[in-house]
Amino acid sequence: MAGTALVLEGLTKRYGALAPAVDALSLTVQPGEFIGLLGPSGCGKTTTLRMIGGLIEASGGRVLVDGRDVTALPPHRRDMGIVFQNYALFPHMDVAGNVAFGLEMRGMKRGEIAAKVQAALDLVRLGHLAKRRPKELSGGQQQRVALARALVIEPSVLLLDEPLSNLDAKLREEMRAEIQDIQRRLGITTIFVTHDQAEALAMCDRIAVMAQGRIAQLGTPHDIYEHPASEFVADFVGRSNRIAGHAADGRITIGDLAIDAPAPVAPGPVTVMIRPHRIAFTAGGAGWNEVRGSVRRVTYVGDVLACEIAAGGAAFLVEQPTRPGAPPPETGTEVRIAWRVADTLVFPRESA
Amino acid sequence: MRLPALLLGPALLVNLAIFIAPMANLAALSFHEARPSGGVGPGPTLATWASIAEDEYYIELVTGSIGVALGVTVLTLLAGYPLALFIHRAAPRWRNLLMVACISPLLVSAVVRTYGWMVILGDTGLVAAVLRFLGMAKPPRMVFNLTGVVIALVEILMPTMILCLLAGFGRLNASLEEAAASLGAPRWRVFMRVVLPLSLPGVLLGCLLAFVLTVSSFITPKLLGGGRVILLATEIYDQAIVTLNWPVAAALSVLSLAVFGLALLLYGRLLRMVEA
Amino acid sequence: MIGRAAHRTLIAALFLFLLAPVVLVIPMSFSADAFLIWPPSGFSLRWYAAMWRETKLIDAARNSFLLACLVCAVTLVIAMPAALVLARGRFRGREALVALLTAPLLLPTIVLALALLILFVGYGLIGSWPGLLLAHLLVALPYGIRVLMTAVSTLPPAVEEAASSLGAPPWRVFRRITLPLMLPGVTATAATGRDVPLRGKPDRPAGRRGVSAAGAADAQHRHRAGARGGARADAG
Repeated sequence: MAGTALVLEGLTKRYGALAPAVDALSLTVQPGEFIGLLGPSGCGKTTTLRMIGGLIEASGGRVLVDGRDVTALPPHRRDMGIVFQNYALFPHMDVAGNVAFGLEMRGMKRGEIAAKVQAALDLVRLGHLAKRRPKELSGGQQQRVALARALVIEPSVLLLDEPLSNLDAKLREEMRAEIQDIQRRLGITTIFVTHDQAEALAMCDRIAVMAQGRIAQLGTPHDIYEHPASEFVADFVGRSNRIAGHAADGRITIGDLAIDAPAPVAPGPVTVMIRPHRIAFTAGGAGWNEVRGSVRRVTYVGDVLACEIAAGGAAFLVEQPTRPGAPPPETGTEVRIAWRVADTLVFPRESA
Repeated sequence: MRLPALLLGPALLVNLAIFIAPMANLAALSFHEARPSGGVGPGPTLATWASIAEDEYYIELVTGSIGVALGVTVLTLLAGYPLALFIHRAAPRWRNLLMVACISPLLVSAVVRTYGWMVILGDTGLVAAVLRFLGMAKPPRMVFNLTGVVIALVEILMPTMILCLLAGFGRLNASLEEAAASLGAPRWRVFMRVVLPLSLPGVLLGCLLAFVLTVSSFITPKLLGGGRVILLATEIYDQAIVTLNWPVAAALSVLSLAVFGLALLLYGRLLRMVEA
Repeated sequence: MIGRAAHRTLIAALFLFLLAPVVLVIPMSFSADAFLIWPPSGFSLRWYAAMWRETKLIDAARNSFLLACLVCAVTLVIAMPAALVLARGRFRGREALVALLTAPLLLPTIVLALALLILFVGYGLIGSWPGLLLAHLLVALPYGIRVLMTAVSTLPPAVEEAASSLGAPPWRVFRRITLPLMLPGVTATAATGRDVPLRGKPDRPAGRRGVSAAGAADAQHRHRAGARGGARADAG
């Protein structure tokens, strides 16, 4: 199955006189691509998804599926499979009935429907539960029925609205892999809405980080994580030390410390961000930033040792995997920490 | 907006035909006067309203009806509150059973329950028989007077009151009471400071409904009052059907609507105060 | 624990008070006496036999049943679309419309009945089937709207959107998803449709009453002491 190209052109949703919920959003999704819309609640990601699916009317802009403008089409003529956050299974139908519904709407013959339903349920490994009612299923099973129901109609685009948020942590990781597998196998163009950055990083080909109805950054998980385009993205994706500094003469001062930036920075107030696990208790060298400080707090979490180091009037969180035979530093001791200059993210301070 | 209008149309049309129009007509009728020969004279005139305003009987009727309704409301609340609280606190498996028992009278009409009270309170009834057995030569009369009407109305309204109270108890959970107790409040203070305030919205709704239903109660005063207990609703009936004085019946109807309006207004005010 | 015992006694007494009249009516219906006397001098089935011999009563019951079916059908057809709009719509004046359409439930029955009676006399509708139908709609329709609105608002979220995303056009969404899921609410309305006419007959015990899913607020209008006035309006 060859995927479908999905293009959003200046998609906008306004509610009354408020700031637009989605503000002239443009996005080109390649055929078969798995795109994540990632952002905090209220950033407009679900609104965008609902406009793509036709569940709400766009105030402006267009939705193109393989070059065809579907903006004016009602949802039942858009041919998109949607998996809802609460699954929205039909409580009065059994599992097979739920999955068959979309095929019935397409006027398919009974025999054909039965075969397709069985295949779809097998795909999500629920073939044996066809006669169960939704309320007799566990959360993970309901979620797979919802997925089978959306996939069986062979939609041009698959829309996933926070599909994993109602599952417990362990099941969530399982379903992550399962959804990813199925999506790869079918090669179906997929939009995945989530507020969970780990989910987005793990599953998506590309991620659109959204804030205030716009795309703050679009890129591969690697791009987004390693080269965040703004302080917001760096803060939202992954965890970061966030330290106020000042850029002058090609260097950055933090209190009485001075460090190097990976690229020239315009003079003025800046925010320096460093991922905690990229900082190590070593001496620096060429291409490294090194500072001295004192250990203020040590937290031992089994696989990770988290230390807060006070230096230059700022606090640096350092996270290192624990190793046998390496006792944690003691509170109050003087230590040296260092990280690569390349791992130093510098953003002009958002208008003070 | 076009589709909604189309979907609402039939309901609005029927509402206009059988509610708005008749009520407007009724209100207009109160500005006519009944001819001595029967029938309704030409209007508009304030004669009917004037005759009602001047007649002490009607003034007493209105104040008396309100008084009876208030009394019944308070008694229903006092009788319903302990039961509702008991049901609310009962273990889950008992709770549903108790609830059904409490609400089951609703499945039986007010007429049947009124007859039941006639059996219990009548001169040859259950209570009289018990009192006689206990040696009372002449048990007090409990039917065909206000006592019987009030007793029966309280019982008839209790399920409604209990439903409202239970709905109000929804916000109350055991841990709130336990928290209050753990902070050193004795049982009665827990009740006064936690249970009662939280249940006030339900109390208000129950009281509103009990009041409103008493004012419009009709069969119970008629049957158990034996023609001696006259309230707004029974008087409207008598004027309309027996005396055939439609303008007076219409004016009394408008008055009872005004009483309803006042009750609703008061309810709204109190609710806002309680929830503020 | 004297307090505890007193509390138990109070609760038991209140329950007794609440249930006594209902419980007593059952043995009284088997009374052999011609008057309401307790205890009855003996028990018999004479009143049941008398009821069976009363052909007018049986005719009335048949008419009631036919009327009930009619009221029920008309109520559903009119109330369903209105309830959908009122429960879903986000338009100005929605609250006012709900209040207007359900107001007859709150107002005294005697007043409503009188108003209808007076108007019906003028149009010669007294004792006619259209008159009977309209009179019953006065209560059945607001009740139906209320019950159906509750049914609509308790539908599970997003199922209708899911159905339409799977290719179901609006009317099929309604038929396959909305309607079946509202069925409990619809049944409740159907039951009232039958209920109201039974109550409206003169000098007969009013019909059965139920407690709806709509909760306590709905319970009040089911108690309608004023049914006799309405009955006269119907029966002419």
